[in-house]
Amino acid sequence: MWKYLLEKEFKQFFRDPGLPRMALAFPVLMMLVFPFAVSMEIRNINLAVVDSDRSEESVRLLEKCTSSGYFRLVSLCGSPEEAMRLMDGNKADAIVTISSGFGTETALGTGFPVGIKVNTVNGTRGSIAAQYLQNCVMMYLQDRSQHDGLPAVSQTVDISEKYYFNSLLDYKLFMIPALIVMGITMITAFLPSLNIVSEKESGTIEQMNVTPVSKSAFIICKMIPYWVIAFFVLTACLLIAWAVFGYVCRGNVLWLYLYTFLDIVVMAALGLLISNYSNNAQQAMFVIWFFAVIFILMSGIFTPVASMPDWARAITCLNPMRYYADAMRAVYLKGSTPADIWYDAAGLAAIGSVMVGWAIASYRKSL
Amino acid sequence: MDAIVIEGISKSYGDVRALQDISLQVGSGEIFGLIGPDGAGKTSLFRIMTTLMLADSGSGKVCGLDIVKDCRQLRRIIGYMPGRFSLYQDLTVRENLDYFATLFGTTVRDNYSNIKEIYSQIEPFADRRAGKLSGGMKQKLALCCALVHRPSVLFLDEPTTGVDAVSRRDFWTMLARIRDAGVTVFVSTPYMDEAAMCDRLALIRDGSIIGTGTPDEIIAGFPFRLLSVRGRRMYPLLKELRKTPGIVSCFSFGDSHHAAYRPEETGKEKILASLSAAGFGDCTVMETSPGIEDCFMWLSHR
Repeated sequence: MWKYLLEKEFKQFFRDPGLPRMALAFPVLMMLVFPFAVSMEIRNINLAVVDSDRSEESVRLLEKCTSSGYFRLVSLCGSPEEAMRLMDGNKADAIVTISSGFGTETALGTGFPVGIKVNTVNGTRGSIAAQYLQNCVMMYLQDRSQHDGLPAVSQTVDISEKYYFNSLLDYKLFMIPALIVMGITMITAFLPSLNIVSEKESGTIEQMNVTPVSKSAFIICKMIPYWVIAFFVLTACLLIAWAVFGYVCRGNVLWLYLYTFLDIVVMAALGLLISNYSNNAQQAMFVIWFFAVIFILMSGIFTPVASMPDWARAITCLNPMRYYADAMRAVYLKGSTPADIWYDAAGLAAIGSVMVGWAIASYRKSL
Repeated sequence: MDAIVIEGISKSYGDVRALQDISLQVGSGEIFGLIGPDGAGKTSLFRIMTTLMLADSGSGKVCGLDIVKDCRQLRRIIGYMPGRFSLYQDLTVRENLDYFATLFGTTVRDNYSNIKEIYSQIEPFADRRAGKLSGGMKQKLALCCALVHRPSVLFLDEPTTGVDAVSRRDFWTMLARIRDAGVTVFVSTPYMDEAAMCDRLALIRDGSIIGTGTPDEIIAGFPFRLLSVRGRRMYPLLKELRKTPGIVSCFSFGDSHHAAYRPEETGKEKILASLSAAGFGDCTVMETSPGIEDCFMWLSHR
């Protein structure tokens, strides 16, 4: 009987005009398009320069900035006011002001009259632009002290950064495990719940309930195809990441599957919960959308959990996607083992046991 | 032994009392009709008897099995066809039938004789998806699926709603054959004209049973005589009839009005005379024998 229940679910899945194609297109799209689209690398920052010094040194500093590739020099302005107008008109993202006497003062080591103004209407873009500019200035100062043997001004502080696990700060590499996380969640939580709700809507679930088939067997058979698809998508994504970008998982791929399995259990329970409390697809869709947005924004996928305020960080502790995303990134980028990220497994297991219990209880009652 | 015995079933949805103290006995091997208008509580009663819903109070047995405690065993021996077509529209006719046979641990081939007569009519479309069938075909398929495991009791919730007149007649012929094969058929319908096809029936209104018996018994219980009145201005005529002394009740019935009167107080001639006096000289009045609908109207307004 189980075989037949499963056969029916697969038949319906493959007979659906959209679903099988979606299952194929989803990982491809996710791996080939999104890593570029969701990149947080900021390029082409429009730079306005007010150079009142016009010395050899000031030109060297500006060259350092423009040669980094992140900035596009839009204008050499005569006055700070002119530069400000450009920024107000959204034509410049950053302004570097070099006061007269820059050359002599740096040579003497008495000061460093350079001002940086950054447009932070888009906070991320602004702060990254400011950081880049500071880096350029640092590099200019280092160059100067090395090549010219001149005394460096701010030599007292030497910041050198070394990035571990993603040394080139490649955003695509960073995003790939996270994209997998989002995809798996969609497939394992939201598709089955829509499927169950649609059986409710069409009344077929009623017809099933008068047969001797137990409710649990029916539901598990409903979910299994999506689990199969989830593992298929995971495998496909890993293969595409390897074939197209040359990324490989640092850790044991097995752990990726283990954490995916844990996540699937949690998500299956969530999907069942949603379907228990919704009577039609419209309600279910809204609840799904609500959870999807919260999960993604509160998971640390786009913005680090560590930089959230305390209360927001407390909320993320209830978000299964936070643990799953953390685990997937840790295994994929750092090669962590479950011994290192046991807390992610613990988080998923804790949320999972509550959700599964609640889902089963409400499912029993929902009839 | 009675196939279905229910006692004191009540069910409320919030403040709405859907069923109030329903008790019924259905004999084995009969077609038992539950007749009542929309919203009378027919579907709620079906859902309780088919173990889909729990009653607030009361108990019931189907084939000796309790509808709450023995629901698992009970599901093996009943067939249920809900009012709405609820088979898988994206599976073919054959797949639906195979599917439901398998769920009951049997095969279509083992029970082919049971459904042959009905299934043979849709067999030419065996590979068509259920969603693409016509209404009558869907209904036949649903009936096949409900019969494929040889149930002892067949529950049919408004099987003829939305079906054309010819298909409805065919359907009742099929039900009679199913009954003749020994299956108890419990069927609900809002159509009073179908009541005569049942062996026994119960009239239900606003969650209460207002009468049970064979169609003849129910009609015999009608204590008045009945006139069929036809005229040109039907609505004023209806109001006038209701005012006429001796007339107990009057309802519009197709293209005429059925007026029940007490024979000891008035008569056909007297009513005709009073109608003429009120300016309805052009109506025709005929004695007629009461049908189930007349009984229903009387019982529900008593």
